[in-house]
Amino acid sequence: MNNSSLWIVLQRMRLPFTIIVLTYAIAMAGLLIITGFDEQGNPYRMSIFDAFYFITYTATTIGFGETPFTFTYPQRMWVTISIYLTVLGWFYGIGTLVSLLQDKLFLSEIARAKFIRAVKNIKEDFVIILGYNDTTSEIIKKMIDDNMRVVVIEKEQQRADYLSLEGFIPHVPVLVADVHSPTSLECAGIKSVHCKGIISLFESNLLNMRVTLASRILNSHIMIAVRSSTDIETANLLDAGANIVENPLAIISYQISMALNTPSLFKLENWLYNIDNLDCKTFSIPKEKIMICGFGRLGKSLYNVFAKNGIKPIVIEIDIDIVSEAIAKDIDTVVCGNAEDRSLLEKLNIQDMNLIIVATNDDTTNLSIVSTIRSVNKHTMIVARENELSDFSIFSAAKIDHIFLPSEILIHKTTNAIINPLSDKLMRLLQSKDEQWGQQLLAKLIKTISVNPITFELNINKIEAIELHNYLSKCENSVTLNEIRRSRRDREQFNNIVPLLISRSQEDILLPSYDYELKIGDRILLACDENSQEDVEYIVNNLYEFHYIITGEERNYLNKFISRS
Amino acid sequence: MNLDKVIAGFFIILAMTLNFGFFYGDALDMHMHSKYELFAAIIVNIIATVLKLGDKTQMGSVLIATSLVADLQLIAAASIWTIYSVDGTIDPEVFGVIISLSGGALLANITSVILYIGDTLKSKR
Repeated sequence: MNNSSLWIVLQRMRLPFTIIVLTYAIAMAGLLIITGFDEQGNPYRMSIFDAFYFITYTATTIGFGETPFTFTYPQRMWVTISIYLTVLGWFYGIGTLVSLLQDKLFLSEIARAKFIRAVKNIKEDFVIILGYNDTTSEIIKKMIDDNMRVVVIEKEQQRADYLSLEGFIPHVPVLVADVHSPTSLECAGIKSVHCKGIISLFESNLLNMRVTLASRILNSHIMIAVRSSTDIETANLLDAGANIVENPLAIISYQISMALNTPSLFKLENWLYNIDNLDCKTFSIPKEKIMICGFGRLGKSLYNVFAKNGIKPIVIEIDIDIVSEAIAKDIDTVVCGNAEDRSLLEKLNIQDMNLIIVATNDDTTNLSIVSTIRSVNKHTMIVARENELSDFSIFSAAKIDHIFLPSEILIHKTTNAIINPLSDKLMRLLQSKDEQWGQQLLAKLIKTISVNPITFELNINKIEAIELHNYLSKCENSVTLNEIRRSRRDREQFNNIVPLLISRSQEDILLPSYDYELKIGDRILLACDENSQEDVEYIVNNLYEFHYIITGEERNYLNKFISRS
Repeated sequence: MNLDKVIAGFFIILAMTLNFGFFYGDALDMHMHSKYELFAAIIVNIIATVLKLGDKTQMGSVLIATSLVADLQLIAAASIWTIYSVDGTIDPEVFGVIISLSGGALLANITSVILYIGDTLKSKR
């Protein structure tokens, strides 16, 4: 009996129960003592059972009448008193029970018990998401689209209610509790074998750290995805055991640096995130006459990226402290002033600017700066930072060439890392490659498949590739990537498949060649079209297709029988 | 001094003493066993049970179990008495059953009191 709600009821009902029993006892005692008369006028005393029976139906206001004989006046006087006594006792008991049902503590215990039951009933893979807001709501949608179940812990009742109103299908259980407490994490099923990961994207680094430490201790196998704001925090979180640490501002600066130096890798990354296809035109960044509005964290890291590439952008910052700090660091292009001020912009030769990045952490300010710039210069390229997801419609209506959306980056990164861990790994490996390598891969993908290939992961295990697994475990022959890219229609033909990555226990092979030998436990990331994906899945799972692909013959039991005899 | 403890202790011990009062005497002599004492014993036993409700500890669980045993035996005794007294024939055999049932309840009550005293002695306050 670990159910606390039952205990709360029992504990609170102690006094009401006692009072009901006492009123019964007093009323019954009176009836037992007072002498009555039967129909013949003989004196008699009620038996204990008679008294109990009479009080039972009188106290519950049912009232069957006077039994076993008509009462005398002294008896009636006592019954009058006992009716008031016992009915009061009952009302008190029922009243306590009703108020208990409205009790906050009791209700939250009931909700918790329901949540725990709902989590226990999830027999598929699921992730725990901490906190419900615009960003995590998008993540939930993406997870559900990819057949991943979701469990949410949210601190505020109101937000949890919003989640219930969304009506996600399948159902997303939500617990209203402290997000970082180990008990709520355990309630959310962090120790379950089905739990694949936990996502904690709080602004507060302390909270993310606590979640990481607690989750890692409770379950050493799950993926922990957290957000960080600085490089030091990132390192700390990785040390604490987080698998995926995302710093949206660092990602933005990294993207700018990619757009400057390796645009083809930038294209590949966008494609892997399902943001765009391979043929999209990425925004090309001019090499001079760049202006940054706002010198906060994003402004600083953007400035550093440009400075590394030998570009000195002009920076406008309103806070005098930050400006003097920048000047102390020998950054001489910083101007102190309000970027919404038209005359200041004109003084800075805004007409000549090629690129203006609006990077303050306030959406209203950003929009206002954009409209001021547009009123002076209609043609320059504007890149703006959008902080709140809900402002999306306003930003897309403003004349902005490219929008930085840290929340969106978080959404893509997190879901990708948890649902497709291999493509996340690929993204990391891409970072060390150069432009030429990127262009070659881009050309290969477009030539072999199309401008918008799909990616999918194949794990060589009993569940996802039973035939291939059985064949490899018998150790008869080796199977190469060539085998699984053959067409089911004609094995001499090949499907449109480009293997991107093979991940083994210790090593990762980037772009393996087609004659690469497969082993049990390999995880393969393939780029292909839908038809090819179907073929591959058939080949590795279907006895007959696999036999045909390996031998070139139709599998036939009769053949086997004949060849044996 | 804790008023809750006083009340709970009062009822638990009263349940045992009333039970003993009913049980004591020649098992076959109906005049030595008052039905009103049985009635009082049942009432006090039920109150003692209710007062033990909702205690999540190990000791609380055992205490409530002993109380439930006593309730069950006493109510069984009272039921038998009521049923057999309808036709007015309570022979010594039936009466023996009633008394032995209350004797069983007495054992449960004694266990309960011993546990309760043990628990109280262990508590440092």
